[in-house]
Amino acid sequence: MFGLDKGDKMESGFYGSSLKCKFEESGLANTHAIMEKAVRWFESRSIFVVAYGTGCGAIEMPPTFTSRYDAERMGVVGVATPRQADLIILSGYLAYKTLRRVIRTYEQMQKPRYIMSLGSCPINGGMYWDSYNTIKKLDDYIPVDVAVTGCMPRPEAVIDGFVLLQERIRNGEKAGWEKYDENLKFYKDNQKRVLGGHVDPAYETDWYNLNGGGIA
Amino acid sequence: MDLASKLEKLSLELVQKNDYLYKVSVKIDQLESLLLSFINEFNYITLDSINCRDDLEDGLFTITYCLQTEARDHIVMVQTSIERETASLPTMHTIWPQAEIMEREMHEMFGVDFPGHPTLIDFALEYWDNIPPLRRDFDTLEYVNSMNPFRGQRTDALDTKEEMKKKREAKKAAKLKAEQEAAAKAAQEEQNNPKQEVSGDE
Repeated sequence: MFGLDKGDKMESGFYGSSLKCKFEESGLANTHAIMEKAVRWFESRSIFVVAYGTGCGAIEMPPTFTSRYDAERMGVVGVATPRQADLIILSGYLAYKTLRRVIRTYEQMQKPRYIMSLGSCPINGGMYWDSYNTIKKLDDYIPVDVAVTGCMPRPEAVIDGFVLLQERIRNGEKAGWEKYDENLKFYKDNQKRVLGGHVDPAYETDWYNLNGGGIA
Repeated sequence: MDLASKLEKLSLELVQKNDYLYKVSVKIDQLESLLLSFINEFNYITLDSINCRDDLEDGLFTITYCLQTEARDHIVMVQTSIERETASLPTMHTIWPQAEIMEREMHEMFGVDFPGHPTLIDFALEYWDNIPPLRRDFDTLEYVNSMNPFRGQRTDALDTKEEMKKKREAKKAAKLKAEQEAAAKAAQEEQNNPKQEVSGDE
C-alpha cells in the first residue's frame, strides 16, 4: 500500500511508521497526515458486513440492506464470510454455545475489524437476564465498538450505528480490535470463566462424522 | 373393539378431557405395549411430543406421550411416572424417529436416561456439568447471578425525580417571565398610544 518496501514492518495504525519517516525525510510530513486522513475516509466509506443473526434482530438486517433503507448508499455492504468482512453485527442475545462460535468468527476476521451489537440483550441481558445459558455483558468477552439499543432497534437505528462507526473511523479513535489485542488476558479470562476450558467449539465436522448422526 | 373397552380390559381408566382429547395413566412396565397397541389397533400413529414434569415432592418424574390419529381429529395423552433418582425410560426412537431428538432434549434438560438411545450427546447446551437445568432443585437465579452479574450503574447517572423537578421549575419560571414581559409590554404600549376616548353618539 502506498509504495511500501517489501521489508517494511507494518505497525499499529493503517500503515507503518516507516512510511511516515520517508515522508518526513523528504520534507512532506504534512502529506503523511493528509494521506492518513484520506485512508481513514476511504475505509469509513467501505464497510463490509457479516451479519451474524444470533437472535431476533436478524430480521432487521434485510430491510437495512435492501432497497427500503439501502445501507449500500453509505458504503455498507454485506458479505458472505468473516474473512472478507470489516464489521460483524451480532443481532441479539448470545447463548454460551453461540458465544463460542462468535469468538471463533471474530478471530478469523482481518484487522481492522469492528463489532456492532443490536438490542438490549448484549448490553445487559434484556429479557433473558435470568437465563441459565445466556450471557449478559457481551463487551466482557469481545470488544463491542457500537452497541445499538432498542428491542429490537429499527433499521433507522442500525443506520445511525453505522454513521457513528464511520465517524469514529474517520476521527481515528481507538477501535475495539486494538483494545482486544492490548487486554487479551482480560477477555480470555472472562471467556474461560463462562465457557469453562472449552472456549473453542468442537469442529462441526466432528459432530457430523463422529458424535452426531441423528436428526438435528 | 373400541378404545374404552380395550382399556377396561387392561384395567386402565380413559379420561375424556374434551371432544378430541383423552388421557390415560399407565404403569411404566405397560407403557411400551400400550403405545404399540395405540398405533396398531386405534390408528394413533403420530407422536406429537414427549413432556416431562418434575414432581420434586413425590420424588417422581411424570412423563406424558401425546399421540395423534392419522385423521388429526383425536389426541391421547399417555401418562406414566418414573423414579426421580434412577430416571430411566425405554427409548421410542425405533417406533417414531422423531422421538430421538425429543428424548435427547429430555436427557439434557432433566437428566433422564434412555438405554439404547444412539445419540445421547449435547443438544442445546454444551459441556454442561451442573444439575440438569430444568430440574427443580437447580437454583437458576443463584447460578445466573454467580455466572453473569448485572452491569453496574453508570457513574454519571442522574436522579430522575430531581431532574424532572428542576425541569418543571425551569418551565414554570420561564412561563412566569413570559407573562411578566407580556404585561410590561402591554403597559408600555398603552403608555405610548393612550386609548382614544370612544366618542358617543352624535
